[in-house]
Amino acid sequence: MTQDVPDGLPTSLLEGKALMAHLAKTLPTPAAQTLLSTYFNPRHPDHVLPGSVLSVSLPTGPFAGILISIRRKGIDTSFTLRNVVQRTGVEMRFNVCSPLIKDVKIISRAGQNGGKRMRRAKLFYLRDQPGKMTAISTAVKKASS
Amino acid sequence: MILTRVQTPLRSYVASTSASVLVRHVTSSPGLQAQAVKGGYSTETTATISKWTPTSIRTGLIAKKRGMAAVWNDHGARVPVTVLQIENCQVTKTVETPRHRKEPYYGIQVAATDKRPKLVTATMRGHFRKAGVPPKQIVIEFPVTQDALVPVGTTLSALHFVPGQFVDVAAKSVGKGFSGVMKRWNFGGLRASHGVSISHRSAGSTGGHQDPGRVWPGQKMAGRLGGERVTMQNLLVVRIDTVLNLIFVKGAVPGPDGGHVFISDAKRKMISEAIRKTKKGLAVEECLPAGLDVLPFPAGTKEMAEKLPKIVVAPTRGRNPFVALD
Repeated sequence: MTQDVPDGLPTSLLEGKALMAHLAKTLPTPAAQTLLSTYFNPRHPDHVLPGSVLSVSLPTGPFAGILISIRRKGIDTSFTLRNVVQRTGVEMRFNVCSPLIKDVKIISRAGQNGGKRMRRAKLFYLRDQPGKMTAISTAVKKASS
Repeated sequence: MILTRVQTPLRSYVASTSASVLVRHVTSSPGLQAQAVKGGYSTETTATISKWTPTSIRTGLIAKKRGMAAVWNDHGARVPVTVLQIENCQVTKTVETPRHRKEPYYGIQVAATDKRPKLVTATMRGHFRKAGVPPKQIVIEFPVTQDALVPVGTTLSALHFVPGQFVDVAAKSVGKGFSGVMKRWNFGGLRASHGVSISHRSAGSTGGHQDPGRVWPGQKMAGRLGGERVTMQNLLVVRIDTVLNLIFVKGAVPGPDGGHVFISDAKRKMISEAIRKTKKGLAVEECLPAGLDVLPFPAGTKEMAEKLPKIVVAPTRGRNPFVALD
């Protein structure tokens, strides 16, 4: 290539080789990159499994709930937390790379490094199980208070 | 990574005096961070880019569509973007053709993506040698005004387009082959059951009976779909990266990943708007979209890119969608 290559980046990026993978790694903020490479990287020892209870700190206040789904799409990776708030089931879906997410705290883990292992990747069946959800929401409230 | 807001006090490449430019640093290259922190603009750079007039039409660029990604703006809203990469886009000819009872036609011929000389015909090899550029895969002409002519051999950069401006992106759409009438013309087809035999997706009737006794020309039928030039208008330029020569445009762009696209200033939101505002009597700065002062003129070149910040992001416009209206 006739063009110069900046510090440390391979020339093949200028030809577009592995460019999108490079952008998926470098476009998010460092905080988001850390989340993607640890909690939401299935190969990392500290990765979260569905069934864990997480708390996300947002500008409007924290939201805690049980992790019912992780959608892995590189920069568009998102996860859904479910909780019962004022007798109403609430689900919130968060984009991992969104700048609105200040922090993700793990209140309790499921599976390895933690308690019971869920036998599903997506826990959408919890939408039809109010009994289980009541138990989960009381535990979440107790743990986060 | 440090998120630095660069306040530019003078007329600048990207922002007006009231708006601010958000410059993001690429973590993988510490040298880049040092460069982006300074964010200065030399006076000679601003001098060369101050000749744009609202009635000028600049050249376009050829880029390659690499894929889609997402960026988040200051409000925290997600913006879907298409990543377009410029592969050694260079000017190969300036065209001037006289026209009967009109101003002459001016055009800039631009070529992109280097190719092995062995694979290029002798005719084209000679043409590229005359321009002083390596042989290229694709050669396209953009019509321009006389003041926007660029010398032959100039290498164009992603900096040619300013974050915050609007562009038209044209490309050959994804080919769908011989497609049926439901896909091609949105026909309703026939019922799935109740006696319909083997024609669930067919067109049905194609005309009358004895009168007219033929099928009208232009009757919608099955045939080849796609593989034709399509232009997406008024796409916002969200981000520029001169390190990897990338332009991030908001939304989708026709064609497959790896296909060539032709980017030019938006005909409706940039060129027509500028002419309309000039006729109203507005100043040069007001003829551009909000947050822009000038456009690199006659073109944003590789030399210009070396003097300006490496990564530039469009200023966030509009109200915060996450804050209630009260």
